[in-house]
Amino acid sequence: MKRLCVIALSVALATACMKMTGIDVEPIGSTSRGLFITCEGNFMYGNASLSYYDMETRKVENRVFRRANGADLGDVAQSMTIYDGRGYVVVNNSGIVFVIDPDTFVVTATIEGLTSPRYIHFVSPQKGYITDLYDPRIAIFDPRTNAVTGYIDTGSHPSTEQMVQWGDYVFTNCWSYDNKILVIDTRTDTVVDQIEVGIQPTSLVLDCNDKLWSITDGGYAASPYGHEAPSLYRIDPATRRVERRFTFAEGDSPSELAISGDGSRIYFINDDIWQMEVTAENLPARPLVANVGTIYYGLAVDPATGDVYVADAIDYQQPGVVYRYSAAGEAIDRFEVGIIPGAFCFKSL
Amino acid sequence: MTGRLRISVILAAAAALLSAPSAVMAQHDRTRTVDIEGVEIIGYRPLKDIGIQSTQMDSLVLQESISLSVADILTQNTPVFIKSYGRGTMATASMRGTAPSHTKVTWNGMTLNSPMLGMVDFSYIPSYLIDDAALYHGAGSVGIAGGGLGGAVTLANTPAATDGFALRYIQGIGSFSTYDEFLRIGYGSRRWQLSTRVLYSSSDNDFRYTNYHKIKQPVYDDEGNITGSRHVEDRNRSGDFADLHILQEAYFNTDSGHRIGLAAWYMSSRRGVPKISTDYRDDNLTRTRQDENTLRAVVSWQTIHGSLKVGARAGYTYTDMLYTYRYDLTGTGQEMIEGIHSQSYVNSLFAKAEAEYAIADKWLFTADVSVNQHFVRSADRSIIVQDGSSAVIGYDQARAEVSAYACVRYRPTQRVGIAASVRDDMYGSRFTPPIPALFVDVLLSKRGELLVKGSVTRNYRYPTLNDLYFMPGGNPELRPEQGISYDAGLSTHVRTARVDFSAAATWFDSYIDDWILWRATAKGFWTPLNIKRVHSYGVELRASIDVDLGRRWSLQANALYTLTHAVNHGDPVSVNDASIGKQLPYIPVRSGSATVRLNWRDWSLIYKWNHYSERFTTSSNDLRLSDPVMPYYMSDLSIERRIALRPIDISLRFDIHNLLDEEYETVLSHPMPRINFGFYIGITPKFGRGKNRRTE
Repeated sequence: MKRLCVIALSVALATACMKMTGIDVEPIGSTSRGLFITCEGNFMYGNASLSYYDMETRKVENRVFRRANGADLGDVAQSMTIYDGRGYVVVNNSGIVFVIDPDTFVVTATIEGLTSPRYIHFVSPQKGYITDLYDPRIAIFDPRTNAVTGYIDTGSHPSTEQMVQWGDYVFTNCWSYDNKILVIDTRTDTVVDQIEVGIQPTSLVLDCNDKLWSITDGGYAASPYGHEAPSLYRIDPATRRVERRFTFAEGDSPSELAISGDGSRIYFINDDIWQMEVTAENLPARPLVANVGTIYYGLAVDPATGDVYVADAIDYQQPGVVYRYSAAGEAIDRFEVGIIPGAFCFKSL
Repeated sequence: MTGRLRISVILAAAAALLSAPSAVMAQHDRTRTVDIEGVEIIGYRPLKDIGIQSTQMDSLVLQESISLSVADILTQNTPVFIKSYGRGTMATASMRGTAPSHTKVTWNGMTLNSPMLGMVDFSYIPSYLIDDAALYHGAGSVGIAGGGLGGAVTLANTPAATDGFALRYIQGIGSFSTYDEFLRIGYGSRRWQLSTRVLYSSSDNDFRYTNYHKIKQPVYDDEGNITGSRHVEDRNRSGDFADLHILQEAYFNTDSGHRIGLAAWYMSSRRGVPKISTDYRDDNLTRTRQDENTLRAVVSWQTIHGSLKVGARAGYTYTDMLYTYRYDLTGTGQEMIEGIHSQSYVNSLFAKAEAEYAIADKWLFTADVSVNQHFVRSADRSIIVQDGSSAVIGYDQARAEVSAYACVRYRPTQRVGIAASVRDDMYGSRFTPPIPALFVDVLLSKRGELLVKGSVTRNYRYPTLNDLYFMPGGNPELRPEQGISYDAGLSTHVRTARVDFSAAATWFDSYIDDWILWRATAKGFWTPLNIKRVHSYGVELRASIDVDLGRRWSLQANALYTLTHAVNHGDPVSVNDASIGKQLPYIPVRSGSATVRLNWRDWSLIYKWNHYSERFTTSSNDLRLSDPVMPYYMSDLSIERRIALRPIDISLRFDIHNLLDEEYETVLSHPMPRINFGFYIGITPKFGRGKNRRTE
C-alpha cells in the first residue's frame, strides 16, 4: 500500500506542472500602406488585439501588437489614430494609450493616468485630447512628452466619444444617456457651447462642405431617458444649429458613421451598409452592400480608394471577420481578425 | 394541460400536504417512531436512492478547514467544474457541461439560486457552516428542484448531538495577511439542540506575481544604460475581502415525535474586485468593489407517524448587493467618485410542505409543494442625464414561483428498484411543461454490491428575472430552456476487515435546447435569446478506498475523473459563425482530482491534487487568435495533529497551498497566488460530561 501511495504521489507531482512564460517577440512589421483593425476582445479577459491588413498583398497579420512587443494589448481596444508618424492605440479598460511605430508595431511610449479612455484627437503637435466613458473631463496631453497636462471639464456629460475639428473648435458627441454634441474652444480648452441632437449620438464626421454629421441610436424602449426613432443629423458648425434631420424608422439601428476621403459621401450601418451623398435631401433607398446574414459591428472607408471595410463580430466570443468591398460595393476580400473587431485606422505612406 | 387545470392540481397537492400534519398529529403514536430515511431495503440501498446518481460529502470533508468554501469542496470531491477567480472572488459551478444557472442549490430545503441571475456564488458559502452536502447528478436533481439541467446541490444543517455545553474555537493565519476566526457555541439536552457559529475571514489578498501580459520593464545598469528588459512584478492589491457569517440554529424535539428546527444565517461581505493583469491604472485611483448583506432563515417542522413522514418549512431571504466602480479625479486617491453604482435588493419568501409514505418496504410515495415569492429591485443610479440629475436604470419586479412534485418508488424484488416522478413548475403566470423522470437500478451481484443504475428526465429551466426584465435588454418573450438527459452507471462496494473500497462509473448524455444566451444587438446593448442547442456527454469515474494499515496507521484515498464534451449544435448566428460543433468556452474536456489522507495515531497528512485540461476561451475553440487557459494542475499538502488533554482538545493544522509554487491563471488575465501557507489552531474545551470525550 505504501508503495502504491508513493507511486500515486509521484505520478501526481510529475504531471503537476503549469508553465506560464513570457510571450515571444517576433520581428514583424510592414512599411506598405495598410489598415489597422482594433479588436476589443472580451471585457475583463484582457484579450484585445491589433490586426494589420496589407491592402496591396491582401495579407492580414493578427495579434501584431503582442508579437511585436511580447505583451498583450490589454482589455477592450477601443480605437486607433495615426498622427505625425505615430500610432496611438486607445485601450479602454486598461486605462492606457499605447504609442506605437506604425511600421514595426513596437511600443515607443504610453499615455497613462486615464480612467476609461475612448478616442484620441490631435489639435496640434503640442496638444491632443482623449475622451472618456466615465470621467466628466476630457484629458489634454502633450504628444511630445505623452504626459497628461490638463483637463477639459464637460460638466454633466461624463460620456464623451468621437471628436472632429472645425477651425479652432473641436466637437465631441456625448453618447451614454445623452443627446449633446459639445463644442470645445481649443484656444482655451473649455466647453463653450453644446448642440442638442437626438437621443444618444454614436458617431461624428465632418464633410467636404464643412458640415458635421452625427447619427443617433434613439435609446431603447422603456429607457428612463426616453426612446425615439434614430436619426441622422447634418449640423452647421459655424451656427451650431441642426440644418437637417433624416429620421429612420423606429426599430432601425443605424450606427458607425464614416466618410469618404474627399468628404463627399457618408456611410453608415443600418443592418445593411449604406452610402449617401452629403448633398442628398433624403436617406438612400438602396444599400451599398446588402447584409450577408450577420450583425455588422464596425465600418470604415479607405480615404484613398473608397474601398469599404465592414467588421463582423459574429457571436462576440470568437475571432471576427472583416469584409472589404470596392467603392461600388463589390466584394474584394474577406479576412479573419481578432475577437470583436470594432474600429479601423488607415496607415498611409 | 391547461393553465387553470394545472393550478388546480398544484393547489390540490398543496392542500393535501398542508392538511396532512393535523391528521398525523391527531393520530400520533407516542411510543414508536420510524425514520423512513433510515430504512434500508437491501444492503445500503434506501428506497430514496433508487437510480439516483449522487455524491455525498461527509462531515470530515466539510469540516476539514475553516478556510474552505463549498466551491473548494465541490472542486475536490465532485465532478463539478468550478470557475473561480481565487479566494474571496466569485466561484460558479458548471455540471456536466451546463451553465452555472443550470445547477440548483438549496440550503435546508430553501433555494439559494439568485432569482436575478439564476446562479449561486459558492465562494460565499463556507464549508464550516454546512453539516451535510450532496450533489445530485442530472435527473437526480428533479427530486430537489426543477431546472437543474446539470444537477443540484443540497446543503443542510443538522443538530450537533451535543450533550451539555460545547465550545469550539479555531483561529487561522495565512499568507497575504489572511485571518480566519471560527467560534461555535452549543448546548444540547434531550429535547434541545442550540448552536451558534460565527466565522470571520479577512485578507488583504495582496500577493505578488510576475505579470507576463504587460510590456516588459527596461533593466538599467549602474550608469543608467538599458541592458535588457524583464517582466513586471505586480501585486494583487485590490482583491481584499472581509466576510462575516453568523449561523444560529435551534432544534427542539417533542416527546410526541415532532422535530422543530430553526436555522438563521447572516452574511456580511466586503470585497474588492481584483484588477486583471492588463490593467495599467493606479490601484489607488480606481477601485471596484462588491459588498453584500444577506440574511437567510428557515424554520422547519417534521413528524413521523408510522410509515408516514410529513414536514413543512418556511423561510425568508434578504439580500442587498452593491457593485461600485470608483475613480479619483484629483490624483490623490482621496476623492473617489462613482462611475458605476449598481444596487440590487432581493426579498424572498419561501414555504414548502412535504410528505413521504412507505408501504411494506416496497413502496415509497413522496410529494412536495414549494412556493417562492420574490421581490427584486435592481437599480443602476450612476447614469447622469442631460440636466445633471441622476436617473435609475433598472427594474422592480415581483414573481411567485410554485413547484409541485410527486414520486413513487417501488422495489418489487431485492435486486430491482424503479422510480418515477413528475414535477411541475409555475413562474409568474406561466408554466413550464411537466418535468418527468424515470429511475431504475438493478443489483447484478450481491457479492461486491455490483449495482447498475439508470435515469432519464426531460427538464425545463425558466428564465431569471434579469433575463426577462434587465434594462436594457430584458426579453419578456423568452421560453424556458429544455433539456433531455440520460445517465447510466455501474458501481461496486467491497468491504473486508481492513479495506473498504468503492468505485463507480457513470455515462451521461444530455441535450439542451433553447439555451438562453445574452447576445449583442445592433443597438449596442445585449439581450437574452433562446438560441443555443448543446449536446453534452461524457463519463464520470470515481473510486475511494479506506484501509486500516495496522499499528494505528490508516489510509483514505479517493479519486475522480470526468470527461465532458459540451458541444454547441445551435444555429449559426452569422454566416461566419465557426462555433457550431465546438466545445463550449471554459468547460474543460477532462478534469480529475485525488485526495490521499494518511493517518497515524493523532497525526494526519493530507495531499490533494486537482487537474483541469486546457480550456478554450472562444466559442470557435480558436487557438491562433486567442489563448486558451492552460492545463491546470494543483497540489496542496496539509499536516494535522490532534492533542487530547484533560481540560481541552487541541488541533493544529498547517496547510501548504500550491505546493509546487506554480504560476498560473484559472481565467484569462486573472493571476493566482503562488505557494502560500496557512496555520490553524483549534481549541475545544471539555465541559462536564464532555470531559471524557474526544473532539469530533
